[in-house]
Amino acid sequence: MANKSPIHELHKKLGAKFTDFSGFEMPIHYGSIKDEHLTVRKNVGLFDVSHMSNIWITGDGAENLITLTTVEDASKIENKKSQYTVILRDNGTVIDDTIFMHLEDKFMIIPNAGRAKTVTEWLNKKAEENNICATCEDVSREYVILAIQGPKSRDTLQKLTKTDLKTIGFFGCQYINLAGIECIISHTGYTGELGFELQITPVDQAKDIFKKILEAGKEYGIKPIGLGARDTLRLEKGFILAGNEFEGGRTPLEAVMSWIINWDHDFIGKYALLKQKEKGDYERLTCLVCQEKGIPRHGFEIQRDGKKIGIVSSGTISPCLNTGIAMGYCHPDYREKDSINDIIIRGKPVKSKVIKPPFVPKDWKNNQ
Amino acid sequence: MVIEVRDNLKYTDTHEWIKIQGNTAIIGITDHAQSQLTDIVFVELPEIGKEIKKEDELCIVESVKSVTEIYAPISGKIVNVNKHLEETPETINESPYDKGWLVEIEIADESEIKDLLDAVSYKKMI
Repeated sequence: MANKSPIHELHKKLGAKFTDFSGFEMPIHYGSIKDEHLTVRKNVGLFDVSHMSNIWITGDGAENLITLTTVEDASKIENKKSQYTVILRDNGTVIDDTIFMHLEDKFMIIPNAGRAKTVTEWLNKKAEENNICATCEDVSREYVILAIQGPKSRDTLQKLTKTDLKTIGFFGCQYINLAGIECIISHTGYTGELGFELQITPVDQAKDIFKKILEAGKEYGIKPIGLGARDTLRLEKGFILAGNEFEGGRTPLEAVMSWIINWDHDFIGKYALLKQKEKGDYERLTCLVCQEKGIPRHGFEIQRDGKKIGIVSSGTISPCLNTGIAMGYCHPDYREKDSINDIIIRGKPVKSKVIKPPFVPKDWKNNQ
Repeated sequence: MVIEVRDNLKYTDTHEWIKIQGNTAIIGITDHAQSQLTDIVFVELPEIGKEIKKEDELCIVESVKSVTEIYAPISGKIVNVNKHLEETPETINESPYDKGWLVEIEIADESEIKDLLDAVSYKKMI
């Protein structure tokens, strides 16, 4: 049987339609993906993302373990700061992408849905092999994760806490009392908008906090948002979805994530990445905007002059641009900015222009 | 939300409606179908003049997250398509039985009509 969020019944009452996502039955929408998408871009939306995982890393060697197993040097991430990173295999391909939060003497990482077991086992194994004094514990089912995203997210949450939220900088994280409940807040998100994420335990408090946030955001037109809009929101910003963009084994260089790699420390997979970098002829994640009608989807072929040069990893119609957009892996010779590739949609080539992400700029709302 | 099923139409178990008008039939998707698909954002229509067989793919209707094939409920020749849907696919959501029609087919085999569901049977199904 599929896992359900602890606040599944509340979603039902709010009119959610559900979908299976990595073994979790989660809301896909509450009526209209398009409407929910625009609500987040223009105002504020509330997501339940409890399908994501939670792992505590404790012990004197917690920091060393993260430094060894991710592309980040965890000693550079001070208390109350978080960092987006990837965990690699020895061959440089991604096991998972995750955020880790430095919370006093421990770290919490947030792997993707259904990845908790794999990641926990991998990290514990690496701790043991390298004599690092650290323990990873999968506490995924003990937490509800909520995301409040959109230009009015801070104003909404501010009503529920005495902590001045402006003191929490981008990627800041800390314990907070929100609506009378102690939880973890981070200034992070997956929409490209101003936003926060909450880790709530024990889970029976989550229903109440969800309702209180909806109440607090009422004056800004807050809505509950499903995973459908979560996907289109992230795609418009060129953010990676692990299940799509890392499918089949991709390295962070292929996924064009060099910006998160800290080369000044040793980490698992580093040698493989250096070798790949030197060779240079690897496919790279490329953003494409359709110049004609048609919606690209996962797995569609990308061509230039009738020759296959890549494959779409994620595609959709952009609710903001009202045009087809895609990310896909392309041969390095065919991804120059403004060049035109064809995405093959049911046998028909649809002209698509290479752009630099994001598809939808930060000031989009102001130009509407 | 109340789902509309019109008495004067024929239906399929794959949620198409069929309106017989002499020797042609107008085809669309039902109110139930559009409410399940939610925001329709793209429609791919067949060429006028194309001959199709019952249960062949007739057109493609896409929502933000899904691609749905619409199958021909009867055989015949495409004599008209609702071109407006290419610019305003959301018309299917707004008016599934009127402005949101998909194609008009010249009926090739009248005996196929008796296989279609009436409104009472379709209502029971959904």
